[in-house]
Amino acid sequence: MDPSDNMGALNHMVEAVALDNGPAPDSSTGQKDALPNDMLRIKQQMSNQCFEMAVQLQAGKSKRSCSTSEAERDLPDYVKEMERVKTINFNSTLALHRMQMWHAIGEKLKQNDSEAVALKAVNDRCMALCSQIKQLQQESRDLQDEITEIQKKRLEMKRLTHEKMKEMEELMSKKGHPETEKYKAVLEKGQANLEKYKKMIIMAQNVLRGILLACKVNWLDDPKLRDIGMTLEDFPISD
Amino acid sequence: MSLLKPFSKLPGLCTANILLVESEEQFQQSLADALMEETAVTVNVRLAKNLPLPMKNEESRPRIDLVVFIINLTSELSFQSAEASLKFLDPGYFLGKVCFLVTNARNASVPTERLDAVRKLAASLHCPLLFAEDQTPDGVTNATERLLTILKVAAGLVPMATALYLSNLTRCTVPPDIDQPSFD
Repeated sequence: MDPSDNMGALNHMVEAVALDNGPAPDSSTGQKDALPNDMLRIKQQMSNQCFEMAVQLQAGKSKRSCSTSEAERDLPDYVKEMERVKTINFNSTLALHRMQMWHAIGEKLKQNDSEAVALKAVNDRCMALCSQIKQLQQESRDLQDEITEIQKKRLEMKRLTHEKMKEMEELMSKKGHPETEKYKAVLEKGQANLEKYKKMIIMAQNVLRGILLACKVNWLDDPKLRDIGMTLEDFPISD
Repeated sequence: MSLLKPFSKLPGLCTANILLVESEEQFQQSLADALMEETAVTVNVRLAKNLPLPMKNEESRPRIDLVVFIINLTSELSFQSAEASLKFLDPGYFLGKVCFLVTNARNASVPTERLDAVRKLAASLHCPLLFAEDQTPDGVTNATERLLTILKVAAGLVPMATALYLSNLTRCTVPPDIDQPSFD
């Protein structure tokens, strides 16, 4: 269950080198190739330990008399902050990888062998496609602009038509108005006259009937007199 | 009081040390055998019945990266022993270096209050709670794999991950209706 002797010796030696800064003991000559890797690994583990110790110290420092519910409320904010920092880190790593890759491609192209030729061919094709894409994008943008212009014009036309229609309606209603006024006056006068004449006629008819009755004329036998007598109710008096 | 401290010693190169605490001392043996088969990292398994650990080993003991409390749900003593051992652990361990492993959770004779109590304990300490099956070799292998994952992070062997971060993701939570009767 204990570490093997080899690892134990290596461990002690690494510690000795790290802490005493002295010359490496002679037994390290056979393991000099593994030493930088192991140094890096132990460095990473040490940095992890130091980080965790710092975290524990930090936790102890900011010891407020708060309940766990308060801490739980703060937790999502901290988690969000951590997520944000992690995203930034990831993006930076991606950018770094991109730069590294471009550098590698550049170096390869400088070497000028068969793979470089293939790379150059692919690169040329990419450039051609990119310029084609640019051209098409430019064309589509121009078409989009034209469409926007036409739509603007249409809207303008619509607005003008709308205004003209409103003007027309106004004019029509205005023109109708003075005419109906004059017309109304004339109409009323005509109707008044009509009433007057109707009354006169009915009065005349009543008088005539009275005369006929008074004269004791037999109007039933004579058709002309019967017409006069019977058509009295044909003129309704509108009061 | 002799507390077990997490940072009083230096880490070992490519080494992870795990401490299995179990009052029955059964499952920890098979678990230890399975853990030793890991080849990528040198895993040192130390077994204990309960804390505090004996003083005479204090010097030779390496830095313990992960403390696993194995609780057998069929015995009340197991739970109480684990609870009592918690006092002898430095608070620094609870930032992701403690794990609870529960066995026999499917046993019919287990009262539900015990599992709830274990859950509440793990949730209050913000530690992960794992369930394991100790009778079959498959169960042992599964538990080993999960413990190894947590152990590697706790020992600092996984870049960009710390024990505290992992414990935040895996910590036990208590459902809000834990005190209400469940439909079992």
